[in-house]
Parts: sequence; C-alpha cells; structure tokens
Amino acid sequence: MPISINTALIGKEYPPYPFTVERGKIKEFARAIGDLNPCYLDDRVGAASEWGDLIAPPTFAVTFRDETADTGAMLRDLGTDISRILHGEQEFELFRPLQPGQTYLCRARIVDIYEKSGRSGPMAFVVRETTITDRTNDVVAAMRHITIVRL
Amino acid sequence: MKYAKVYFDDVKVGDELPPLVKGPIQQIQLTRYAGASGDFNPIHQDDEFARAAGMGGVFAHGMLSMGFVAQAVTDWAGAGAVRKLGVRFAALVRLKDVVTCRGRVVGKSSTDDVNLVELEVWAENQKTEKVVTGRATVILAARP
Repeated sequence: MPISINTALIGKEYPPYPFTVERGKIKEFARAIGDLNPCYLDDRVGAASEWGDLIAPPTFAVTFRDETADTGAMLRDLGTDISRILHGEQEFELFRPLQPGQTYLCRARIVDIYEKSGRSGPMAFVVRETTITDRTNDVVAAMRHITIVRL
Repeated sequence: MKYAKVYFDDVKVGDELPPLVKGPIQQIQLTRYAGASGDFNPIHQDDEFARAAGMGGVFAHGMLSMGFVAQAVTDWAGAGAVRKLGVRFAALVRLKDVVTCRGRVVGKSSTDDVNLVELEVWAENQKTEKVVTGRATVILAARP
C-alpha cells in the first residue's frame, strides 16, 4: 500500500549531539572496508605523520550517530519504516581529518524532501545535512545524505 | 608502489587512477561493515527480510561501496588528501559481485597555496554496470 511522506519535516533541526571518536573504531571501520592504509591503522605511523596521530578514512563521519536518540525516530516522523528506505546519495566535505580522542558536535537538519517517479515506482527523496564542529566551534566536516523512501 | 606520493605538478587532466578491485562481496563483510558503521538495517543481513521488502535479497550498504571508492582515491592521492567526496548510488551491489573502483582527473586549480585536483570517480560491477558515480576533490602538494 502506498504511503505518503510528511513534508512538514523540511527545515527540521535535530538536537545537537556530541560524538567522541574512539581509536579502535577507526581501525575497525577501515578494516571492514578492507582499507589497510597505515594512516588509519598504525599508531606509530600516525604519531610520525603531519597530523600527529591516526586519522579516519574519508567516509568515517557516517558513523557519527546520536547514541542517545531513538534511531527510528526520523523514519517514524517521516511516516515510513526501515524496509522502505534506500541510500540515494552521500557527500562529505572534509576541512580537517577526523582524529581519535576528539569530541565533535554534530548538528543535523532536514533541508529538503521531494518526490519523483523512478523505474521501481514513486519515491520520496529526503535530504539531510549534518555539520560537524570541534571544541572551538570550527567546522571540521559536513555531510549531505539523501535517503530514498519507496512510497 | 602502493601509497607512492603523487605531486600536483605531475598530474594532468585525463590521468586515470589505478583501478581498485574489491570483492567478491561476502555476507561476512556486510556484517562487519554493519558493526563498524552502526548501520544494522536487516536489509543487508537477512535475506528473508530483504525479499519481503521487495528487494530480491540482501544487498551491500551503499556506504561500503563509497568506502571502496574513497580507498581508490586515497590509495592514489594519499590518506587525508580528500577535501570533498560526493556520490550517487546508481545500482545495488549484491553478494558475489566484484566491484572495481575507478577515477579520472577532470580539473586542476590552485588558490591561496592550496592545489586542488578534481576527479570523476565511479565503481562498476563485473558486468561493467556502474554501481556508484561521483566526484572528488583532493588536495595535492606541489613538487618540492
């Protein structure tokens, strides 16, 4: 049965949440991708590098979830569930590499929702942007995530 | 040599990145990626769930394929070189698929001591269907 998406969520800002990068999580993430770059895995290489420690792979910020939030909340707000969603597009802007031991603040916002018809029927596109800042409020990274909801 | 240093001066528009071949994709890799990324959508783990959702079976996280593309870029440009990476997930990656990540230099520019190289990037499966398409911007050092 077709569903309709709650477009009233356009502009909705989610409460900012802190995220601390754990050294082991960077390594686990790189290994899961099969990317064995020593800058992600070898503490000594990290310490000797221009960054003074390990850095995270370019897509690592996707792990920055709000651990205190109900992860199904956004889907429920939209009027859908996890079985209908697909990842449409993803973009990262990185102003500085993300590093272990650092605590960042994440601010996520739904910037747009639009509908289109695709090969597999009508779909809604939910565009979410997240800004990641450091302790001094400098923007370290930004990500843009497009979720497709099969209607 | 892997992780050889590439300098801005030596890069030309039209240069291609060394292809990075990943896979064949196995369920265990999707399970590992779920744990590492925190994306536990059962559509990537549970074949019955994925079929009931109308997806014809389990498929890989788009973000895993994007991770492969990012690796192709950093294997060439260096870890920490990526300034921007944006992709569209064009087709599903299935179990047993072999994913080849490719890239090509489409532009160069220098501003305020920063040397930027624009890349077209993509990943294709063993049938040469594009599964990911996108763009990347990397910062490269000038030859000393």
